[in-house]
Amino acid sequence: MVPHWRRRLPLLLLSLLCPSFASAHSFENTAIVRTIDLGGSLVHVTTTYAVKALEDGAGVYTLALAERELKRTSWLEAKIKGQQNILAMESAGFDGESGVYLFSVELPETLRTNGTANLVVEAIETHATYPWPEEAGQKDGQSLKYETDLFVVSPYKTSVERIKIKSPSPNILSYSTPEGLDEFTMEIPVTKSGATITYGPFSNIPATADATFLKPKQKEVAVHYNYDHPVIEVTELKRSAEISHWGANLNIEDKIHLHNAGPKLKGHFSRLEHQASTFLGRMPPHVLPSLTLHLPPNIRSPYYYDLIGNVSTSHLRVGHLPAQQSSLLEVRPRYPLMGGWNYSFTLGWDSPLADYAGYDKSTGKYVIGVPLMTLVPGAVVGDAEVTIILPEGATDVDFFPPFTPIQSYVKTHVTYLDTVGRPAIILEYKDLTTKHAGTVYVMYKVPLSAHLKKPLAVATAFMGLFVLGFAVRRMDVRIQKK
Amino acid sequence: MLLPLLALLFAPLCLAASFQTDHAKLVQLAASSNGVIRLDEHSYKLLTNPKRTWSASVQFTALDKKRRCGPCKDFDPNWNAVAKAWSTVPAAERDNHFFGTVDFDHAMSIFQQLGLQSAPVVQVLPAVEGPRRPASGRSNPIALDFSGGFDAAPLAEQLSRHTPVPIPYKAPIDYSRIASGLFVLLSFVAALRFISPILKSRWTWAAITIITSLIMTSGFMFVRIRGMPYNGPNGQWIAGGYQTQFGQEVHVIAMIYGTLAGGFLMLTLVVPNQLSPSRQRMQIYLWTGVIFVMYSVLVSIFKEKNRGYPFRLLL
Amino acid sequence: MPLAYSLPTDLSPATVVNASSLLRIVALALISGAAIASRLFAVINFESVIHEFDPWFNYRATRVLASEGFYEFWNWFDPTAWYPLGRVVGGTIYPGLMATSGVIYSILHGLNLPVDIRNICVMLAPGFSALTAWSTYMFTKEMKDESAGLLAAAFIGIVPGYISRSVAGSYDNEAIAIFLLMFTFFLWIKALKTGSAFFGTLAALFYFYMVAAWGGYAFITNMIPLHAFTLILMGRFSSRLYVAYSSWYAIGTLASMQVPFVGFQPVRTSEHMAALGVFGLLQIIAFAELVRAHVSSKQFQRLLYASVIGMGILGGLAIVGLTYKGWIAPWTGRFYSLWDTGYAKKYIPIIASVSEHQPTAWPSFFMDLQLLIFVFPAGVILCFRELRDEHVFVIIYAVVASYFAGVMVRLMLTLTPCVCVCAAVAFSSVLDTYINPVEPDAVEEEAETAGDGAVSASSTAVSTSSGSATKKGKKAAPAAQPGPLGGLVSTVSAVVSTKKGEKSRGIFGGDTRLAVLLNALGMLLFFVLHCTYVTSSAYSSPSVVLASTNPDGSQHIIDDFREAYYWLRQNTPETAVVMSWWDYGYQIAGMADRPTLVDNNTWNNTHIATVGKAMSSSEEVAYPILRKHDVDYVLVIFGGLLGYSGDDINKFLWMVRIAQGVWPDEIQEPNYFTAKGEYKVDDGASNTMKNSLMYKMSYYRFAELFGGNQAVDRVRGQQMPKIGPTLDYLDEAFTSENWIVRIYQVKKEDPLGRDLRTANAFEQGKRRKRSKPVARRRAIV
Repeated sequence: MVPHWRRRLPLLLLSLLCPSFASAHSFENTAIVRTIDLGGSLVHVTTTYAVKALEDGAGVYTLALAERELKRTSWLEAKIKGQQNILAMESAGFDGESGVYLFSVELPETLRTNGTANLVVEAIETHATYPWPEEAGQKDGQSLKYETDLFVVSPYKTSVERIKIKSPSPNILSYSTPEGLDEFTMEIPVTKSGATITYGPFSNIPATADATFLKPKQKEVAVHYNYDHPVIEVTELKRSAEISHWGANLNIEDKIHLHNAGPKLKGHFSRLEHQASTFLGRMPPHVLPSLTLHLPPNIRSPYYYDLIGNVSTSHLRVGHLPAQQSSLLEVRPRYPLMGGWNYSFTLGWDSPLADYAGYDKSTGKYVIGVPLMTLVPGAVVGDAEVTIILPEGATDVDFFPPFTPIQSYVKTHVTYLDTVGRPAIILEYKDLTTKHAGTVYVMYKVPLSAHLKKPLAVATAFMGLFVLGFAVRRMDVRIQKK
Repeated sequence: MLLPLLALLFAPLCLAASFQTDHAKLVQLAASSNGVIRLDEHSYKLLTNPKRTWSASVQFTALDKKRRCGPCKDFDPNWNAVAKAWSTVPAAERDNHFFGTVDFDHAMSIFQQLGLQSAPVVQVLPAVEGPRRPASGRSNPIALDFSGGFDAAPLAEQLSRHTPVPIPYKAPIDYSRIASGLFVLLSFVAALRFISPILKSRWTWAAITIITSLIMTSGFMFVRIRGMPYNGPNGQWIAGGYQTQFGQEVHVIAMIYGTLAGGFLMLTLVVPNQLSPSRQRMQIYLWTGVIFVMYSVLVSIFKEKNRGYPFRLLL
Repeated sequence: MPLAYSLPTDLSPATVVNASSLLRIVALALISGAAIASRLFAVINFESVIHEFDPWFNYRATRVLASEGFYEFWNWFDPTAWYPLGRVVGGTIYPGLMATSGVIYSILHGLNLPVDIRNICVMLAPGFSALTAWSTYMFTKEMKDESAGLLAAAFIGIVPGYISRSVAGSYDNEAIAIFLLMFTFFLWIKALKTGSAFFGTLAALFYFYMVAAWGGYAFITNMIPLHAFTLILMGRFSSRLYVAYSSWYAIGTLASMQVPFVGFQPVRTSEHMAALGVFGLLQIIAFAELVRAHVSSKQFQRLLYASVIGMGILGGLAIVGLTYKGWIAPWTGRFYSLWDTGYAKKYIPIIASVSEHQPTAWPSFFMDLQLLIFVFPAGVILCFRELRDEHVFVIIYAVVASYFAGVMVRLMLTLTPCVCVCAAVAFSSVLDTYINPVEPDAVEEEAETAGDGAVSASSTAVSTSSGSATKKGKKAAPAAQPGPLGGLVSTVSAVVSTKKGEKSRGIFGGDTRLAVLLNALGMLLFFVLHCTYVTSSAYSSPSVVLASTNPDGSQHIIDDFREAYYWLRQNTPETAVVMSWWDYGYQIAGMADRPTLVDNNTWNNTHIATVGKAMSSSEEVAYPILRKHDVDYVLVIFGGLLGYSGDDINKFLWMVRIAQGVWPDEIQEPNYFTAKGEYKVDDGASNTMKNSLMYKMSYYRFAELFGGNQAVDRVRGQQMPKIGPTLDYLDEAFTSENWIVRIYQVKKEDPLGRDLRTANAFEQGKRRKRSKPVARRRAIV
């Protein structure tokens, strides 16, 4: 969702003059607990606001994100604790003097004075960590660094606040101990227990979404921790889904560009050492020998190749509905992916159209749901372009992406023996994460004539050929008759 | 010839034998045996004087019958030819480079001390001191390679890099060859009138064509280019292995091919003209049998050469 | 007259003719199918991938053609090849192949069939093999009749000798060249028979296509003149010959000069002089004939003949003289080495080093042609029986081609079609004789059945011409009489005439027929089995991908080449220059898409020798060379771990030889042998060998792979020293899974200006002080 605010950013900046501070004093946070689950390229941030209303009819709660947070955050959603339905969230623009971005969340029901609610805000940050040291030898381990602001930015006063940072592995190399927090807490501000570092509790903090606080008081904390899985990025994902009614087939093809965002390989790659470590089963954490992908069930004729041909080192286990919900594909790049190395490949498969499409008698429209992306576990997808190619002659097309793309348009795509070409829907996204793996729903009509177009065209062509042959065979082109 | 040798025998003894005299002796030796010094232990020591101001090129060979060194015999005349060519150079340069031949049976010890296992070998000993000392200061012998074959021309060319002046070697014009060629040509022209009917007959040409193509397709050129022996040691006539063959195989295979082709011709051309049913039947069965048997023989021979081959007929 | 078996008598001639032509078409279709199918082993066993080395360049060029368009391709200067020289591709290739697939590509895309250009390239050879079968059919039809034609087509369709160069994926010039060869010959024969300038022109056009497609066009350029010349010698000069040859030569030569790579060679080089000479001779003779037709005086004619001969000799002398003066280039090395077989080894080691330029041992012949190789002499004899002009052609072809095939393995390719044609002629005449139901009368009555001979023969013709429509023969005979059967009738009459006296010929009884036919069919069946076996086992592996079998028998793909090339492509800068031996130049350019120093188009001996020198001299000597050529990566192929015999250590001696050719006093071959004159890589290896860059790069850290155990080189079967070589000027950058491809990065100069060896020593010295586990190779320093 963040992207599409970014697109509207200038407009926002104009609309700053009327920030929604109307409700600035209508709430107070009795407690804020922020939990940061560190990871490779993805970091999960869960913040729980225990909210108390200060006036009646307070229905709109305002969240605030500092600039860096906003840049990182690629997924943001708010819920009431214990409830499933997601609360409507509206960008409330950029607050000039405090320098934070505001979002207004509509609570399910307005609170009267002293009414309370527990608001759970979930965010996924991408590109938030970076490898430190930036280079690592083939045998060395891998450690990442994560930096963030200490205090949760909020336009409201906060009684108690606690920030937990959970590292995936217990050995944390270092973490910063902020100074000069005496006015918020008496005892030492940070405690480490196992893989968790806790900052706080800090008490009675003023409204932090405010320059007067942010400038002097906001602290920066950094955590330097070991991460023993490769840090993978999909720098580019091009998916094209082609629908064929004749073949009752949905062909999906992904062009994936992998990048190992871990520490760059220091020195050079030594096959000897690699083989040794494989043999001893002590694969260094930043090496990606292979990765496992979850593909849809009952897929047929999968293919996996790159720019110079088929890659024979892959293994597929097809899952069949309803027992297994997905097929497992184990993909091995041609070479083990060391830190900083790239590998691009193409992956495709066919699957029965029936699993995805349905026909709506009442409207006479086909409805098809195309999965937006293939999950590369724990990876962020840099730029994604999804193309959905409808059958030739499909009319009144409309499509419903799971969330708003940066850009979306329809163009014509001409392929096998097409006469007029097929409508193709193109959606462009940025920084997709695990949460974004949704489904695009497309509705379209295909008249019978369109179905018959291709066979007829081919038939006429052949007919023409035969007639021509017939004529030529019977024509006498000799100059003088024998 | 004898006197210098005696002198050489004493050479080690008489300490007075100074450097100049060594050189003089070598010159003398060279002159006495038109350019090539037949080296033995002593004269070899003399030649490879550690303080030599001259260079030398030495041929290590084994010319004796019992050594059965074919290449040596091929190479020796070329060597001598080149040496002879060198001896025509004006003395000033000539005496700065010597040609020598070490025969295995006269100087085994030299072979041993050099650890030479094969012959012929040609080594060039550059000058160690004096004006002709190579810039690289390299004094250990340089071995020539025969990748260019044993011919005199490339040899002279290679050696010329190490001699003070290029060796003025010119391949002798082979008059006998030209003469014989001319003779054949003339006699042919002369005989043309008489043999013209033969030449005009298509069947002569047919025979020529068939024989050429049979010979060629049974690996004649391979044998010729690779210089394969007629048959292997202990008289085996099939060279094991798919990529090679002996001379004898050419004949055998060509014969088999010929027989098979003949069988076919018989069946098509001759047999149908046989007008008595019984004889004709007999011939047909005969030739069919011949073809079948020959073919299976051929296949089995091929199986010999190419072990992996899965098919076989009768045998 | 008696029949061996009865024939249906109630068929109208029209039916027979139609049925036979239908059957012909069906048969041809099936043959094409078989031809294509039998070439797909590689695709089925592996994948649709380009094979070998040269095809990778053709493929790359084709991609350029397909994406950039023809003009771009035509003046394509490739700066990444022969770095830093670059290569003018447009002017140094035979564009026919690329043009062909380019045209196919654009046609398909015009039809909205987005076929990948790679697949077109892969499938081109099989597709054209079908056309080859067809053109062979046409050619043989001119020789004998349709039945022989069909046999020939079937032969050439599946014969290994041709499949070896045209399996799916071997995207090389030969792929289309053989079709062009056969079709040009067919058109030439046609032109000669009909004496029509039309066919002559067609022949010229296809000759042009051939020139644009393959360097082997010189074969046509000399075959046709040779044929014409022989005909003249046989006193068979005719206006037909004159028209056919003149139209072919004039148009063909002009057209061929349009190919930039050929340019003015047709008038400047000896390879083409034969054609020119015969052309001149023909003019003279034609003139003479003309005059003689109009003048009657004896002396004048004698004078005329004298002058004709004189002029001929003068012309010959003129050509020789021009050659001496250097106006006409003498034969090129490649061509010359066909005659003087020792030539190449002495003077052009690069040519000699190519394996397919070796002479052919007989098993290769049998492997590639099987029964055809011994049936074809019979066919040649049959050609001699009725010595029509076209038969003369085949005979010459047979002799010349079998010589060439004997001298060079790769020229087996030119022999194959001729063998197929002759064998087909022989085989089909056997079948004719023994399928023909007519039985001769017993010895008593003779004289009257000559005519029957002819008729029966013609009936035979029809019966066999329409494959299995045999039995309909007899009736069809009159109907089909004037057509292509003329050939066979004349055959038979020839047979009859050559035997003394008129007598009926034929076969008695059914069992005899059955015996012979069964035998023949058995042989054909065996032939098919053989071809399938050879094709699948020998000729269908794309040397880019190697296959081995797992213990459980399943196929295991060894993909090291592409692994390493792809690594280069993805993880090195676009401009990184890669040095390797020339064999791999095209593959690196095609798959890794990086600049290379030398590649398979070996036009610059010095440059190759430079690489050879760098590879075969010590690090200190090699380093400046590498730096001067901006080499960033050095790539070597090493089979020692897997037992892959085609690796660089085995090719090493050629590198040394070629380098020696240019720097005789720096590189000497003998230094790379042990004192005993053996080629060793183990402890006993000579020092020059051990210090050579190639040796070091191949065996760098190889011994360590075996832990404590004795390291063994599986190709040479030699035990490697425990302590491997060290490298000071290069760094190991990448090594493929099975160590087949090893890539090294060339270090930059030391920032402190020390030479890298001392720098290295210092490095390791410093390391030694620290008590940190260090690389084992420090042991040596």
